[in-house]
Amino acid sequence: MSEKMIHRHTRLSIFMHWFNAFCWFALLLTGLGLIKNEQLNPVGAWLPNLMRSLFGGGETLLMVHQYLGLVWAGVFLAYVLFKRRETWVFLKEVFTVSPASDMLWLAKMNLKMTLGRKGLQRFGLTPDLPPQGFYNFGQKVFAQASVVGGIVIVTTGLAMFFSTISMDNPEPVAWSRVIHYLTVGLVFAGLLVHIYMAAISREERPAFMSMFTGSVPEHYARHHHPLWHAQVATEKDKDD
Amino acid sequence: MKPANDSPTREHGMKTEGKTLSRRGFLQASAAVAATAAGVPALRGYVSTAHAAGAAQQAPITSHYTVCDMCFNRCGMIARVQNGRVVKLDPNPKFLKSRGMICARGNAAVEHLYDPNRLKTPLLRKGARGEGKWQQLTWEQALDHAAEQFTRIAEKYTRCGVMFSPGSDMQSQFLIRFAEVFGSYNVTSHETLCLLSKNRAYLDTFGETPFADVLYSKYIIIAGSNPLEAIITPDTIDLMEARKNGCKIVVLDPRYTKTAALADEWFAIRPGTDMAFFLALTNVITEEQLYDTAYAEKMLFGLQEYAAHVRQYTPEWAAGECGIPAEDIRRIAREIAAAAPAAMIYPGRRSSDYEDSTQIRRSMAIANALLSNWDRPGGILAAREVGVRAPYFDVPWYDDNPADRIDHGMAPGLIHHEGSFKLMRDAIIKGEPYPIRGWFTFKTNFMQTAANRNKTLEMLKHLDFVVNADIVMSDTAWYSDLVLPSPSFLERNDPVSALQGSSACACAVWRDAVVPAMHECRDMLWICTELSKRLGFPESFNFTLDEYRKSQLESIPEAFEAIKADGVYYNPSKVYGIYFDSPLKTQAKKIELFNQRYAHEGLDPMPVYKAPRRKEGAFRLVVGRTAFFTHSNTNNALLIEFMDKNTLWMHPRSAARQSLKDGEMVEVESTVGKVTLALRLFEGMEEETVYMATGFGALSPRLPLVYNRGASIAEVLEDHADFISGNMAMHETLVTVTRRVG
Amino acid sequence: MKKYAMVIDSSVCIDCKACMASCKVQNNVPHGYWRNWIKHTIPDFSQGPLTRTHFQPGGCMQCDNPTCVQACPSGATYKDPQNGIVHVNEALCIGCGNCIKACPYGARFRHPDKRVPDKCDFCFSSGRLERGLLPACVDTCPTKARVFGDLNDPDSDASRLLRDKPTVRVLARGGIDTKPNMYYVAATAPTDWVDEVEFPGAFTALASLVNPVVKVAVGLSALGVAVMWAKQIFSPDKEESEHESSAPGKD
Repeated sequence: MSEKMIHRHTRLSIFMHWFNAFCWFALLLTGLGLIKNEQLNPVGAWLPNLMRSLFGGGETLLMVHQYLGLVWAGVFLAYVLFKRRETWVFLKEVFTVSPASDMLWLAKMNLKMTLGRKGLQRFGLTPDLPPQGFYNFGQKVFAQASVVGGIVIVTTGLAMFFSTISMDNPEPVAWSRVIHYLTVGLVFAGLLVHIYMAAISREERPAFMSMFTGSVPEHYARHHHPLWHAQVATEKDKDD
Repeated sequence: MKPANDSPTREHGMKTEGKTLSRRGFLQASAAVAATAAGVPALRGYVSTAHAAGAAQQAPITSHYTVCDMCFNRCGMIARVQNGRVVKLDPNPKFLKSRGMICARGNAAVEHLYDPNRLKTPLLRKGARGEGKWQQLTWEQALDHAAEQFTRIAEKYTRCGVMFSPGSDMQSQFLIRFAEVFGSYNVTSHETLCLLSKNRAYLDTFGETPFADVLYSKYIIIAGSNPLEAIITPDTIDLMEARKNGCKIVVLDPRYTKTAALADEWFAIRPGTDMAFFLALTNVITEEQLYDTAYAEKMLFGLQEYAAHVRQYTPEWAAGECGIPAEDIRRIAREIAAAAPAAMIYPGRRSSDYEDSTQIRRSMAIANALLSNWDRPGGILAAREVGVRAPYFDVPWYDDNPADRIDHGMAPGLIHHEGSFKLMRDAIIKGEPYPIRGWFTFKTNFMQTAANRNKTLEMLKHLDFVVNADIVMSDTAWYSDLVLPSPSFLERNDPVSALQGSSACACAVWRDAVVPAMHECRDMLWICTELSKRLGFPESFNFTLDEYRKSQLESIPEAFEAIKADGVYYNPSKVYGIYFDSPLKTQAKKIELFNQRYAHEGLDPMPVYKAPRRKEGAFRLVVGRTAFFTHSNTNNALLIEFMDKNTLWMHPRSAARQSLKDGEMVEVESTVGKVTLALRLFEGMEEETVYMATGFGALSPRLPLVYNRGASIAEVLEDHADFISGNMAMHETLVTVTRRVG
Repeated sequence: MKKYAMVIDSSVCIDCKACMASCKVQNNVPHGYWRNWIKHTIPDFSQGPLTRTHFQPGGCMQCDNPTCVQACPSGATYKDPQNGIVHVNEALCIGCGNCIKACPYGARFRHPDKRVPDKCDFCFSSGRLERGLLPACVDTCPTKARVFGDLNDPDSDASRLLRDKPTVRVLARGGIDTKPNMYYVAATAPTDWVDEVEFPGAFTALASLVNPVVKVAVGLSALGVAVMWAKQIFSPDKEESEHESSAPGKD
């Protein structure tokens, strides 16, 4: 029997997501390739050497990284400007938190993902999680980090981009690089979890598929995002 | 109920697009992204300045020989030209006189060539002199006008009514030829502000103007000269080389110059007392018989008289005059005598210091004579043969001309062809013995370099027509009636010049243009040729430069190939012992310690010390220059970074007595003028002496880097002249220094 | 492989500024800035006739242990093993200024128009070395105080001087030896003008704080992911597999 599907993401949202993923991945690799310093190489000298030989030199790598960064930021800026309502809705969803239930959700989720239901029982906790809306708290946290981090990364990136074009004081540029790298690193840490959750975790498989089809099965929605599911159902009832 | 996918459904606050994300849509979106991506480099290129890729310039660079003109040394250079522009000047490694180097000024000649303040067209004064109103003329108009003026003055005031001042330039010989064919005897140059006293002194002792063989010397006393700063090739270089070979250098200077700083001993001698020191030095040498008696017998005239003369000038006496301890004077005398004959009193170059300068330099020349260093390694050398001829030209006779040049007889030792600018200036103002009404200056700037510029301005009032040829609007150009734009040395083809680099070489050079003349600049040869046509003596200039050079090199035709191949021709002529079996060009045919002609003319035949003037509360003002400026050629954007204005140097104790503070603005006043500039306290100053560098405080606003910056020495220096040679005496001015009010 | 260096006899330097002017013209050094310099001692006039001043020409020392290179996160400034010159790749540099601060000799300056560091590179980028010419400052020097050459070539002027004469180097304060390749014959003064090697705050923050923090954060995250993944593989909770079916949820 075919599962009833609920529409969750627009075509544009999907595009933006994968555009973001692609840019992030490319920017991360090219960015890491730009770090070539014995005291700093995060994964060893082989990576910057490889990236530079692939791109025909460090300066070409920098150019690619900068232009890609500008395109990435530019597209998001265009989205924000032309899709103001969608942007607002997204930000509102992502930044609306209920600390008490969210903390509980987080604690239970962490235990459940690592130690399983039995782990939860060992801590004397029931396996039922506080109900989540469109995004669960974990997704919200990562989205918050992505948004804030993205803004910080773009800002510091722009500082570095304009450094040799128009900036007279190099001090903010040097610190921009520090903050840029720190922010990328922290968001990347979160990204590892996001990728696991999205692409590897079986439980979240339907969510992963929705980043292609745009829809999730109704039972998934009811179980994982009950508050959103209830709202959609209500609206559907209104429409009918 | 609506189906799930195919109609707009409101989600939780998110609108759908209503379009399928078709392949077309995806491509469109990608295209938009790509367009942005393409636009970004364009934007970046627009806003960012080009990053040099770090690679060498790609356009080819050609190399051309030339010789520098940023001072009188004429160091050999190789100009590097790229895309029609001179991009670098490098030393000619084959140029022995400069030991294959060029100094900061030579390097900065690129800035000089492309100076945006260069004169571009002939200019005719419209308003009052110094007002700065100019009318552009064509060369036709300018030359017609000049010829008209010269003719008018010649008719009314004779040919000698025009004075000519050629600068130290390879084309000056053309202006001198022009002056002589025009019929004027009144030729003078900046040399009468510079070295004539020293030349006079040595001519009257050795019969020759001296070259110092510094490289092979073992003991050198430098007094009244600053060769490690005011570069003379090869002396400046050879002094440092000589030191490495154990040469001892003793410097006498009221100011701690770079020469003093690098010497073995420096004495802050009281200014104007050098003669006391040298008389005492020779006192010790003669009293203690520290000279070569056999040599003296053969080469010296008047030793007995001289020894008797200096007996009174003991070191103890001298110490009281010059401030150098007697035991040091004695010690130095013994040391230098022991090092003789490879030891010398450095003759120096500029000797336009005191009314007594010829005699002061005579005392130094005599000391050299007693060191038996004449014509020998490490000593004072005669002129070597180079072989360059001065082409002959007919000089006409004008019946109405006066008997002689205007300053004739005004000083007993005027140097022929130079005279004395100071005396001429006085004569022009007085209008006696006859009037001069015209002045043609070329590459010389008396307004900045001659003491008492208010007097020069006064002199100008008596001149009907003043024409100046230069590269920039110097102060002299600013006050002229007709200004002619000259090409820099990099834009010129010049005749042959002979140079002597001490014992290093005797050589000949010419210049070929490295780049074409800029703007409407025309060289002096062309100007003289055109004027000669208009003034009726074209036959004096009916030659090409090539013909002229051939004539100059008639006796050394091998020079042509050498100069083309190496940028210089060397004549392997004798260096030492030139006078080995010849009499000297003096009356006694020997080195004259006792000058018979002086005695005959009522001058002191042997130097007699006169104590310099002193005044309570006043300072003696001494002047000089640096390694990176030549006189008033200071408006250079590169060189000005080393020094952007001059200051008044004073000893802190002297300043404290007047409560003057370092850096504050002070007024320096003499009997002829007053200037304002910043005070610099410096322990390396003799306490009754103050110092200013030359070349600042310009009056011409078209020298923006030095216009009203610092102060001009010409404004405050009183005009004194050396009694014998008429050379300007620039260290005779006593000034008061006070805090500027307001 | 060459190792270019300078050997300088500062005792014959007359402070004529020719080297500074020559470099400026050859390398288009902007007004107000210099790639090379001449330091001098302060004369002690209590020495009377023996008062002396010593002049010391200098410039980037193309150090063997270049702290400027160490302070550059991107390798935009680097020591070229082919010739020993410390270069700036202006297209890779983002003008952060770390290297300028990390040089104890003050050999670098921020180019006012290009906004990247500028310094002596032995006239390499001007093409002089390629054309067989000496660096501009060396070529022009009146007293030949500056001598330039390849230390890997035993016959070069520089090698010979180093062999025949005792030399000293001007070192940074505080103990870090940047191993400068500028040698002074016999002795030189002043020597107290060199700073301590000080890495700028932005660099030490990056190296000592941010890098470890990021590594720890990513490490912890990866560890968490590994645990989750392992749990999924080895002891999945039942309902996870059930979600793969399309049956309505239990709850």
